[in-house]
Amino acid sequence: MATRRTKVFVSLAGIFALALGLWTGSKFGESPKDGATLLAISLPDVAGREQALSQWRGKVLVVNFWATWCEPCRDEIPEFVRLQRTYGDKGMQFVGIAVDEPAKVGTFVKEIGLNYPALIGGMGAIELSKTLGNSLSALPFTIIVDRQGFIVHTQLGVLKPAQLQGFIDKLL
Amino acid sequence: MGLALMLATAALGASSTSDLLPPERAFPFTARALGPQTVEARFNVADGYYLYRDKIRFQVEPASAGLVASELPAGKVKHDEFFGNVATYRGVLRVDLAFKSVAPGQRIVIKAESQGCADAGICYPPLVQTATVTLPAGTVIPEDPAKKSWFN
Repeated sequence: MATRRTKVFVSLAGIFALALGLWTGSKFGESPKDGATLLAISLPDVAGREQALSQWRGKVLVVNFWATWCEPCRDEIPEFVRLQRTYGDKGMQFVGIAVDEPAKVGTFVKEIGLNYPALIGGMGAIELSKTLGNSLSALPFTIIVDRQGFIVHTQLGVLKPAQLQGFIDKLL
Repeated sequence: MGLALMLATAALGASSTSDLLPPERAFPFTARALGPQTVEARFNVADGYYLYRDKIRFQVEPASAGLVASELPAGKVKHDEFFGNVATYRGVLRVDLAFKSVAPGQRIVIKAESQGCADAGICYPPLVQTATVTLPAGTVIPEDPAKKSWFN
């Protein structure tokens, strides 16, 4: 009888622990997900050269889905440029995936002096971002991948500089 | 203390993206017949969201219904550093659409393309919504209800 009670207690404790784990996992600091699908992506850059995301494996990779028609996207890019300049040689790599036309992206890249690759995803990139967790199919949508290739954060909407700095401090 | 901090973090997390609407709910589109050859197209833009004027397009099926190019309201001008001045709409946007060759009682499908953003800092790609409208069966002008009487 006592053994049975112990078993019931252990089971309940297990369920509670699992529930707490799931709850905390979804609320505080996402549990890392394998970024293999993301790293398998290959898209052309502004010059039409195919670029595979896997070339940046081993770096802290920030993949930003954006578009010229998205004002909040354009607003956060200067900060990405600054961080790429500061942390690029320390193992950080920003990559933009534009849900846009090459000509518009090209103009913007020159205008802002983008110092990291702008890949052209077109409207299809929205579907791609959806498979990576962009539930509202909106922009900007950013994915942070650690050096081991795990997705440690996904963000719909702008990344605040302090938030980004937090990831840099933790992952670099 | 630790738990309080965790709960505070959870509350902050919950307010970020979970409140944002999918585009169909941020910019719902409806249409209704106004007369034998006119339809009112309507976007009910949710609070905190806006549509771009130059991204709104209408199409009709069948195309033989002959949609006449419609004038969109001026909207509110917003300065965009990349695109210059752009007009936007908030709240209710009504556009009267006229058709050149439709028959009484004909069913037409209005396809409305739109694109907009949320003040919270996200933008949606172009969205196409459809509404089916049945035009009035006759060409009789509706009577003024005030004059309607059993004794006329």
